[in-house]
Amino acid sequence: MNQHPMPEFGSYSLLLALILSIYNFVAGALALWGATQGGQHATGIAADRWARLGESARRSGIASFFALCCAAFALVWAAFTNDFSVEYIRAHSNIALNPAYKFAALWSGQEGSLLLWAWLLAAYGFIVRVRHRIDVRLCAFASVILAAIQVFFVLLLTEVAPPFSITPGPVAVDGAGLNPLLQYAEMVIHPPMLYLGYVGFAVPFAFALGALMMRYPGEKWIQITRRWTMVTWLFLTCGIFLGAHWAYSVLGWGGYWGWDPVENASLMPWLTGTAFLHSVMMQEKRGMMKSWNVWLIFSTFLLTILGTLLTRSGVVSSVHAFARSPIGAWFYVFIVLAFAVCLFTYFLRCDHLRSENKLNSLVSRESSFLFNNLILLAACFTVLWGTLFPVLSEFVSGSKITIGASFYNRVNIPIGLFLLLLMGVGPLLAWRSTSLRSIRHNFVLPAILMVATALVLMFCGLRPWRDGDVSSFFALTAFTLAAGVISVIAGEFLRGAKVVRTQTGKNLLRSVVLLMRRNTRRYGGYIVHFGIVVLLVGIAGGAFNQSVEQEMSYGDTLSVGPYTLVCQSITEDSTPNYDTDYALLDVYKSGRKITQLTPERRVYAVGTDHEQASTIVALHSTPEADLYTVYEGIDPDNNKTILKVFHNPLLGWIWIGVGIVIVGTLIALAPSLEQFHRHGNTDCHSERSEESPHFLHSEAPPTITESAPDSAIAKPVITAVAPIAEGRPE
Amino acid sequence: MSLLAIVVLSLACFAYIFWPERAPFMQPDKTRVDYLRERKEAIDENLRDLQFEFLAGKYPEADYNQQRRSLEEESSRAVAETDLLTARGMKSRRTTP
Repeated sequence: MNQHPMPEFGSYSLLLALILSIYNFVAGALALWGATQGGQHATGIAADRWARLGESARRSGIASFFALCCAAFALVWAAFTNDFSVEYIRAHSNIALNPAYKFAALWSGQEGSLLLWAWLLAAYGFIVRVRHRIDVRLCAFASVILAAIQVFFVLLLTEVAPPFSITPGPVAVDGAGLNPLLQYAEMVIHPPMLYLGYVGFAVPFAFALGALMMRYPGEKWIQITRRWTMVTWLFLTCGIFLGAHWAYSVLGWGGYWGWDPVENASLMPWLTGTAFLHSVMMQEKRGMMKSWNVWLIFSTFLLTILGTLLTRSGVVSSVHAFARSPIGAWFYVFIVLAFAVCLFTYFLRCDHLRSENKLNSLVSRESSFLFNNLILLAACFTVLWGTLFPVLSEFVSGSKITIGASFYNRVNIPIGLFLLLLMGVGPLLAWRSTSLRSIRHNFVLPAILMVATALVLMFCGLRPWRDGDVSSFFALTAFTLAAGVISVIAGEFLRGAKVVRTQTGKNLLRSVVLLMRRNTRRYGGYIVHFGIVVLLVGIAGGAFNQSVEQEMSYGDTLSVGPYTLVCQSITEDSTPNYDTDYALLDVYKSGRKITQLTPERRVYAVGTDHEQASTIVALHSTPEADLYTVYEGIDPDNNKTILKVFHNPLLGWIWIGVGIVIVGTLIALAPSLEQFHRHGNTDCHSERSEESPHFLHSEAPPTITESAPDSAIAKPVITAVAPIAEGRPE
Repeated sequence: MSLLAIVVLSLACFAYIFWPERAPFMQPDKTRVDYLRERKEAIDENLRDLQFEFLAGKYPEADYNQQRRSLEEESSRAVAETDLLTARGMKSRRTTP
C-alpha cells in the first residue's frame, strides 16, 4: 500500500469522485422526480424528504470537486517530485524540465488532460451548486446534468485513461520529457484557457436542458446562461488566439492558422457560441427564437465533445492530436447519448418553446441577428464539413481526401466580410422594423466614410483589378467595411455620450464612461465588435504577405519588404536540456539599423535514444508589419545556413484586436449601474442621486393616451413604469 | 500516510454530504405570474432603451412613436394577464375553506 503513496491517493480520489458524481446524479434525479411527481401535492414530511435528498445530492457534487482537486494535486505532486514510477509522469516529464512546464505536464498527455477536463467541470459545477440560491430548482436540474457529464469523464479516467497507472518493472532514472513544441510560455496557459472554454459550455448546456426539462417559465434561465456563456466564450477566445499565437511563434511556417482539424474543433463551438450570444437577445427582448437558442447551445456543447473526440480518438491527422486510442468509442457513445437526450427532451417539450412574437420585417434588428446567426452557422458547417471530409471520404471511397486551407479560405473569407457588414448594419436598425427614413438618417455618414476609405486606398495603390488578385479585392472590401463599422460604433458612443452630457453636464469623456456604466452589456458589446474589426483588418493584411528563403553566411544580406537583413554570425551552443544553433541578424529599414534578431533551432534530447528538433522564431513586430525570421537548417552541400524570412503586414493587429475583444467582454460582463443599484446596493440613495443621472431612470412616456386610447390597457403601463422612474428597486 | 489521507478524505466527504441539516434552502416554484413580471421588466427595459436611442437622435419621431406604442401594448397585455391571474388566485384562496 505504501510503495506509491501519492499515486494511490490520486487513484482513490478519482474513485471517490466517481462514486460522489454517481450519487449526485442518481439522488439528484430522484429528488427532482419525487418533487415533481409527489412533492407538489405531498406537503410537509414528504416534500422535506425529497428536499433533503436533493440537498445531499448537491453536496455530493460539491464534494466531488474536492475529490478531483486531490487527484489533480496528486498528479502535480508526482510531476514535481519526479515520481517516474507513474507512467504518465515518466512519459511527459523529466528531471531537467523547467518547473512551469512540469506543471504543464498535467495537461500535455491524454490522461492528464482528461483529468484537467474533469477537474474544470467539477469546478464549474461547484460554482453552480454553491450559488444555487439564484434559482434552486433550475440549479438542481443543471447540477444533475453536470453530474451526468462528470460521471462520463471520471469513468474515462478510472477505466480507459488512468493517470496514475504505475510503470511495470524498475523505476526509470529519468523521464522522456515534455514535447519540445510544448516547452513555450504560452503553452502553460493556452490549454487551460481552451479547456476552460470547452468545458464551460457544459454549464449553459446544463441550464438549457434543465430549463427545457422542467418547462421553466420565462427567460431568466437565459440571463443566467448568458453570463456563463460569455465567460466561457471569453476563455475559448483567449484559448484559440493563444494557440494561434503559439503556432505563429513556434511552428515557424509564418502563419497562425492552418485549418488543422484540432484548430477547427475549437473554432466550431466558438462560432455557435457567438451565434448564441447574439440570438439570445431576441429571446430576452422579444421572446423569440426559443427553439433556435436551445439548439444553438445544445450544438455548441455537442461540438465541444466532437472536438474532443477528434483530438483524442486519432480519427483525424493533426499536429495537435493525441495518439490513436480506444477512447474514441467511449466518446462516440457519449455524443450519441447526449444528442438522443437533447432530441428526446426537445420533442417532449417543444410546445414550451413557442415564440411570443413574430418577425415583423426583414429590415429590423431581429433580422440582422437572424442573418448573423445563419452566417455563423454557415461558417461552422463549412469548417465541420472540411474537418470531417477526410473521414467521410475514407468511409465512402476507401481513400482519405484531405481538404486544404484554400477551401476554407474561399468559403470563409466572404462569410467574414458579410459578418463585418452585418456588424455595421445591425446596430443602426430598430427592433421590429426600420423605416426608410431611419435608414436614410443613420446610414449616410458610414456610407460616405466607406466610399472615402475605398477611394483613399485605391489612390494609395490598392487596385485589385490591376493586380488581378482576388485576395487584394477582399482586403480592399475588408478595409472599406471596417471603416464603416468603426464609424457606426463611434457614432453609437458619441450619440449616447451627448445625451448623457446634456443630462449631467459632465464632459464628453466622463459622459462616455458613464454611458458604458449605464449599459455595460451593449457598450461592452460594441467594444468587442471594434476588437473584431481590428482583428479582421489584421487578417486582411495577410493579402500582402511576402516571404524569402535564402542561404546565408557571415556578411550576406537578404531583403524583404522594406527591411534588409545582414547576417552577423552563426553560433552553436549547448544547455542541459537542448543543443542550439542560431543566427545573429542585423535588421535595417531605410538604411537605419532598427533591431537585431536571432532565429534559432534547438535539438532536444528525448529520453536516452533519440532527439527532436524545434524552431524558435525571431520576430520584430510593429503595428505596420511583422518581420518573422526562421532558422530552417544547414545546407549539407555548402554548410551555409538556410533562413526563411516573412514580411507580414498588419499581423500584429490580430493580437491587438483580441486584446480589445477581451476588454470589451469584461466590460460587458460587469454589472451596469442600474443592475448594481437594483440588486447590489439597496441603501445607496445618496450615491445614486449623484452618480445616476436621470437618464438612467425610465424616461418612459409620461402619457400614453394618444397611443393607446383604451384606458383599461393604458393604466397599468403608467403605474408599472412609475416606480422605475422614481428609481425605486422593485 | 496515504491510507490516513484516504480515510480522512472519505470521512470528510461522507460527513459533509449526510450531515443532517434541519432546513434545506427551499424556494417556491416559479409561476406564470412571476414570468409575466419578468416579461414586464424586460419590456420596460426595452422602453428605456428606445427612449434613450430616440434622445440620441437615432430614430425619427414617427418611428419612435410607433415603436413605443407597440411596446406599451405588449406591456399592457402582460399587466392585464398578471392582474387576471392574481385576481383568480385571490378568489380561489378566498373560496378555499
